[in-house]
Amino acid sequence: MNLLRKIHRMFKLHRIFIKQDLKKLMEYKIDFLTGAIGMLLTQAINIFFLSVIFARIPSLEGYSFEQIIFIYGFALLPKAIDHLFFDNLWAIGHFIIRKGDFDKYLTRPVSTLFAVTVEKFQVDAFGELVVGIMLLGYSIPRIGVNINFINVILFIVSIFFATFIYTGVKLITSAIAFWTKRSGNITYMFYMINDFAKYPTTIYNRLVRTVITYIVPFAFTAFFPASYFITGGNPWFNIGGTVLMSAVLMVLGIFVWNKGVSAYESAGS
Amino acid sequence: MIYVENLKKEFKKTIKDPGLKGSIKSFFKPKNEIITAVNDISFHVPKGEILGFIGPNGAGKSTVIKMLTGILTPTSGKCEINGQIPYKNRKNYVKEIGVVFGQRTQLWWDLALRETYTVLKEIYEVDDENYKKRMAFLNEALELEDFITSPVRTLSLGQRMRADIAASLLHSPKVLFLDEPTIGLDVVVKDNIRKAIKAINEEENTTVILTTHDLQDVENLCNRIVMIDKGLKVFDGEVSDLKRRFGQARELNFVPENAESINDLDYKNEFLLNEDDLSVENNGVSVTVRFNSDMVSVEKMLNYTLSKTHVKDINVTDADIEEIIKGIYRSEVSLDA
Repeated sequence: MNLLRKIHRMFKLHRIFIKQDLKKLMEYKIDFLTGAIGMLLTQAINIFFLSVIFARIPSLEGYSFEQIIFIYGFALLPKAIDHLFFDNLWAIGHFIIRKGDFDKYLTRPVSTLFAVTVEKFQVDAFGELVVGIMLLGYSIPRIGVNINFINVILFIVSIFFATFIYTGVKLITSAIAFWTKRSGNITYMFYMINDFAKYPTTIYNRLVRTVITYIVPFAFTAFFPASYFITGGNPWFNIGGTVLMSAVLMVLGIFVWNKGVSAYESAGS
Repeated sequence: MIYVENLKKEFKKTIKDPGLKGSIKSFFKPKNEIITAVNDISFHVPKGEILGFIGPNGAGKSTVIKMLTGILTPTSGKCEINGQIPYKNRKNYVKEIGVVFGQRTQLWWDLALRETYTVLKEIYEVDDENYKKRMAFLNEALELEDFITSPVRTLSLGQRMRADIAASLLHSPKVLFLDEPTIGLDVVVKDNIRKAIKAINEEENTTVILTTHDLQDVENLCNRIVMIDKGLKVFDGEVSDLKRRFGQARELNFVPENAESINDLDYKNEFLLNEDDLSVENNGVSVTVRFNSDMVSVEKMLNYTLSKTHVKDINVTDADIEEIIKGIYRSEVSLDA
C-alpha cells in the first residue's frame, strides 16, 4: 500500500512538473518553435541521406531499405523517450555539481534522482518521437512484421527497457561528476556510441560489435530487438538481452549515483 | 533540539602550480592536500532560539550549515536535529527544516513566483487548507502580494530574498536555516527581513540558525552567537556575554579647542601599548582614541588627555560588537569559550 502511495505521488508530482515546464515553454515561444523546427529538420536530413544511399545500394548486408528504415525508426523511440524525461542528467555533468546547484535537490523530501530528472521535460524530443513513429508506420507494413498480441507486448517491453539503457549510460557517466566535478564530456563520449545502433551491427568489425553489444550495449536499444521483429528469431537474446542490459545498467547507475551523493562536496558560496 | 558534537569536515584539494603549465603538470601528477574546513565543532541549540553563526569569510560557517541540512556528509562527529541525523534520514529529515541560501535561489526562475509555491505545496504535501492559511501568514509577514504574479527572473534582490524565505517556510518547518539572508540588501529591506524572521520565531517558536556578516542582524535577532574562525569554535555564548568578556575596548572622542594642541599628545609613548590595544585617529576636527580599558583605565586616559589639551567636547563610549569581533578576527588567537 505504501509503495502504491509512493508511486501515485511520484506520478502526481511528475504531472505537475511537466505542466510547469510547458508553462515555461509558453514564456519563451520563439525558442521553443526554433528548437522544434531544428529537430525536425535534423531528422529529415538524416532520412534524406539514407534514401540517397539506398538509391545506389539496394541492400546492406542483406537488409533491405525498408528493414533499415525499421531499425532506424525503432532506434529513435527509446532515444526520444529518454530524451523527453531524463535530459536533465546532462546538466549534472556539465554544471549542476560543479556550481554547487545540487544543494537544492538535497534539501527536498524526494529522491535526488527523481528531483533532478523531473525538473526538465525536454519537448525537443517530440521531433525524434514523431519521426520514429513515422518511419515505423512506413516500414512495418512493408517488411511483414507479424502483428499479434505477444509481439505488441514484446514491442512495448523492448522500447521500455531500451529507454533505460540510454538513461543508465547517462546516469553512470554523469554521476562521475560527484567526484570529478565535471563529466559532461564523458557522458557525451559514451552517449554518442548510440549512433552505431541505428544500423545492423553486422556491418561493423568485431571490436565495434563487441563494444556496442557488451560494454556500452546500445545494440540492444535498436538492432537486436528490431531484428527479432524482422526475423522472429531468438527472442531470448534479442529482447531478453535488452531487459537484462537495461536492468544491469540501471542498478549500477543508481548505486554509483547514491555513492556519489554522499561524496558530493557542494561549492563555496 | 539541535546537538552538534565534534563535527569535522575535510576536503581533498588538488594543489596546482600557477599558470597553464602548472595545470598540465597537475593533470598528470596531481598533488593532493587535506583541508580541514570544520574542525571539532560542538554546540547545542534549544527549541525556539535564534542562533547567530558568525565568522570571517572562509571560516567554515556554510560548511557547518550544509552538514546540518544534510547536503554534506561529515568526515567525523555527530549532529542530531529533532532526533534525526540529517545525512542518514535525509528525505524524512528535510520535511522538518527550511533552508535559504542567500546566494542561491530555489525559486523557479522562469515562472511566476506563485507557481513555485504551488509546486512546493505538492513536494511537501501541504494540504489545501493549510496551504491557504500558510500563504496568508507568509503574505503578511513578508509582503509578497506585490510581486507574487511576476516571473522570478524579474524580481529585485530584496523581493527574491523574501520570496525565498517564504518558500522555505511553506511547510511550517521546526528549524529554519538561513545562510546570509541579508546579503546585498539595503537597510530598509534588511530591517523588514529581520522583523519577519523575528515574527516567525515568536509566533511559531521556530528555531532559527543564521549565518551573517551583518552584526546588526546579530544584535537585533540573536539570543546567542557561535563564532568560528578557521574551522574552530572561538566563542559560544550570549551577545551580552561577548560584550562583557571582550568588551574592554573603549572609544574616547574629543574636539580640541586648539587644533595644534593635539601635537602635544603622544598616547603611544605615554602608555606604551601595541596597535591592538591602542589606536589614534585624527581627522583635523576631532580625535578618536580606541583603547583597551584593561590595559589603561578610562580615568588615566582622561586625565592624560585633559592635562595636555583643552577640549570643547569629550565623551567615552563602549565599542560596539563590530569592533569587538574585528578585534577577535584580527588577533587570530583561539579564545576558549
